[in-house]
Amino acid sequence: MCLFQLFPILLAQFLPFHFNEKEFNHGLPFYLFRKKKKTEEIRMLKSVGPNFYTPFLSLFDQLVLGNCVLLVNLRRMRLEKCWFCSSTVYPGHGIKFVRNDAKIFRFCRSKCHKNFKMKRNPCKVKWTKAYRRLHGKDMTQDSTFEFERKRNRPERYDRNLAENTLKAIKKIDKIRSDRASDHIKNRLKTGKVQRQKEARKQLELGIHLVKASLALAQDSSLCLPKIKVNVSQAQTEENQPMEE
Amino acid sequence: MIQPQTHLNVADNSGARELVCIRIIGASNRRYAHICDIIVAVIKEIVLNTPLERSEVIIAIIVRTHKELKHDNGMIIRYDDNVAVVIDQEGNPKGTQIFGIVDETQFTMGKDTIANIKTSIRNADMNRKGTIQIGYLNKK
Repeated sequence: MCLFQLFPILLAQFLPFHFNEKEFNHGLPFYLFRKKKKTEEIRMLKSVGPNFYTPFLSLFDQLVLGNCVLLVNLRRMRLEKCWFCSSTVYPGHGIKFVRNDAKIFRFCRSKCHKNFKMKRNPCKVKWTKAYRRLHGKDMTQDSTFEFERKRNRPERYDRNLAENTLKAIKKIDKIRSDRASDHIKNRLKTGKVQRQKEARKQLELGIHLVKASLALAQDSSLCLPKIKVNVSQAQTEENQPMEE
Repeated sequence: MIQPQTHLNVADNSGARELVCIRIIGASNRRYAHICDIIVAVIKEIVLNTPLERSEVIIAIIVRTHKELKHDNGMIIRYDDNVAVVIDQEGNPKGTQIFGIVDETQFTMGKDTIANIKTSIRNADMNRKGTIQIGYLNKK
């Protein structure tokens, strides 16, 4: 409790002077944590996934007070979308290109960046999400997409809200991925007969690769001949000393 | 990665339009300059009727580079061109406005090259562009 009284004093020392006071009054989250390893934090960040009610995932700076670590929100980070492939760009990854008209392009990795520099249109490049959505390969319209929204106003921290949000994210994510895989399954259903036909034709043409011609003359079915293997009782007793 | 002979655009209303880098201020044999570094440059092109003249040697600070700038927090930012702002010996800008996008964190936080510029430079993240008034000169 007395720690909260210390806050303005502590922060006055540690804040960079460009820090906007207006943002402060919105109620930034301050946590008191035991010392966490950096990898744990990043895992924590990654597990939350896309942005829902709280669009900012803060990258915390650590102030050490005795054996406690005070995490102060000095910077804020967002999980962005790669402009080219639409995958999420986590903080510390990728390159941001700022064009002279102030349009910002974010790339998740150099692959996307290089494709952009080649002036390729992502809607025409097959492995990107833009292409898949445009050509109906992936699910485009679903109510689960509406839960994810970009917000520019920071939310006042509420522990219950944060907890419920994290639970909801997991659930909504699962539902969305289930629906997406169903979409793909349904899409592939219509071509099943065609695919089987083509497979059968391929087998007929290439049966000499699968089955010897003599065997084919004897038994003209397209299945492989069944080979019978005799397993004797004596062999299983010999294997037992191996277990030791 | 600005080096001598690099042509730079100018992002303020000091009167210069294009500069050519002559020297990078810092260590004696310094090869490249990045954002926030001070260079000595010669003016190649000017805006008419301004106090600056062509082939005048001035000092400038680099504000945008085509080469990526790596932040300590892992963010890498690249701009579309090489741009500088004309300053004088003490570090005060010669113009009164800065045009275009400037990376806020580099100029207001750690690097103390331009201690005297108290500009309200908006971060490119906020998707704003436009002119920035240099506050301490009290010109609006």
